[in-house]
Amino acid sequence: MKKRSNDFLLGAVILGAIALVTAVSLYLRESDIGTKRSQITARFRDVGQVQVGNAVVIRGVKAGKVERIELAEGGWVLVRISLDEDVALPPNPVLLLGASSLFGEWQATVTGRQSVPASKDVYAQLSDAAGDKDGALPGAVLPDIAQLTSVAGGIAGDIASAAKSFQLAFNDSAARELRASIHSVSLMSNDLARTVRVQSRNLDTIAVDVRSGAEALSRASDGFLRSVARLDSATSGGEVQRIVRESALAAVQVREASERLNQISKSFATTEGHLRSVMFRADSVLIKVDKGQGTLGLMVNDPRLYHHTDSLLMDLRLLFADIKKQPKRYFGIKIF
Amino acid sequence: MIESVGRSVRESVEGLGSAGRISLEGVRALRDVRTWGPLLTDQMRKLGVDSIPIGILIAAFMGIVLALLASYSFTNSVPRYLVGTLVQKTVMMELAPVLTGLALAGRVGASIAAEIGTMRVTEQVDALETLAYDPIAYLVVPRMLAGLVMFPVVVGVAMMVGLIAGWWASMGLLDMSSAQFIKGARLFFDVFDVRYGLVKAASFGVAVTAVGCACGLQARGGSEGVGAAATKAVVTSAVLILVLDAFWAVVWLLGRAT
Repeated sequence: MKKRSNDFLLGAVILGAIALVTAVSLYLRESDIGTKRSQITARFRDVGQVQVGNAVVIRGVKAGKVERIELAEGGWVLVRISLDEDVALPPNPVLLLGASSLFGEWQATVTGRQSVPASKDVYAQLSDAAGDKDGALPGAVLPDIAQLTSVAGGIAGDIASAAKSFQLAFNDSAARELRASIHSVSLMSNDLARTVRVQSRNLDTIAVDVRSGAEALSRASDGFLRSVARLDSATSGGEVQRIVRESALAAVQVREASERLNQISKSFATTEGHLRSVMFRADSVLIKVDKGQGTLGLMVNDPRLYHHTDSLLMDLRLLFADIKKQPKRYFGIKIF
Repeated sequence: MIESVGRSVRESVEGLGSAGRISLEGVRALRDVRTWGPLLTDQMRKLGVDSIPIGILIAAFMGIVLALLASYSFTNSVPRYLVGTLVQKTVMMELAPVLTGLALAGRVGASIAAEIGTMRVTEQVDALETLAYDPIAYLVVPRMLAGLVMFPVVVGVAMMVGLIAGWWASMGLLDMSSAQFIKGARLFFDVFDVRYGLVKAASFGVAVTAVGCACGLQARGGSEGVGAAATKAVVTSAVLILVLDAFWAVVWLLGRAT
């Protein structure tokens, strides 16, 4: 009984350990048993430091991994990648290999040819690898971080030599000039500070004006709002309708007045005709008078009549004066 | 003093030599399945199954400490997900096999040496020979086979527990996300890491059991001799584990690194 118990326990432990190690290994290896994956091959002249198992990304998203790397005829290296299910390739796809971090981690990027980084070397690699009869995608290797580091190292060396030259050039006289320059900058900064203070005051004034203007605008807007409110209340009270009705009534009255005026103007035209005929007649009379025809013409045109009349009037005035002076001479009133 | 140094070196070499001789005799005795077959299960249980708790305990603390150490060592310029990388690589390839092996060297090696040493000083081994039993096939082969099979099992469990403990510590103590740790653990993972650790563990199992058997069979002089044999087995096994660790690193990693 103990023997069987030992066997069972032992078997369970061994199988459990194998299952645990296998499961964790598959999980870490990102193996997906039973999942359908599409296989794509690309060809390169050189694959840099990419390795089997490195990630394949599309637009920055992990979409597969590198399955196999093998040498091929013609100096090519074939890289086979597997892509996750339902992953669509971009139009005109190419495969770029490059470092994904500073720690030696590489990845393969599937991208469209129009999205390839602008680099003559990359374009040349892609052109060289294009047109495979087996349909392999063209591939290129992006510049390695080590190369970039090497270039950066060169730049750092140049900077170091420049700094050394600068150190040689920076003697006592240069220091004095620099000190004078700093003093000048200090003076200039003081002037600038004063200017800023003045402009600040001006800005304060402008701000006050703007504030008062804004307040005026605010008041105006308040008035407008009140007017609108009044209009709104008027509209709501029916006053506008009443005004419109009264306006219509006034229009009718105006129309009647204009009709009366029209009649009056017609009467005036008749009167004018009469007046014109009177004037014509008067004119003809005056013409006759002017010509000395008739009594009035003779009276107007003959100066002798005027003189006779004038002397007559003189005589009458003298007579009246004499009558006033000596009334009894001319009048004798006797009652009884 | 010079004499003691010479004696220590001689005894170490003798121990290694006798372990090698016993291993070779064990290989030769593999044909005697009827003798060692019925004893194998018991030895596998004693050496392996009963050692799993200590392996889990060591691995759990190892994973936690590794995660904290990695986080402490990495500055701001180093991505935090590399904590997962360091824990995965270190646990699987080095610490789980070596630390578990050392622990089992103390537990299993001393146990084997004491058990066989007691049998030797009480002349039970001679009795086996009298009864026409091959002491190598009866005592050594089942223990060495159990060590060969069960050390990788214990180490495999320790690997997984160490990794899980590091993952837990990263999330609970280091404010890392699970995705960050898993990304780092997957980053440079290779099945070779597991294979390397398990092969090392198997070699440690053979070495620890062979040394324990050899020390036990060489025990002389009663209980004091048994104690000395157990001590010698533990020390020799520990040294041998470190030597084998370096050996496998040179053989496998040196070639892969270039």
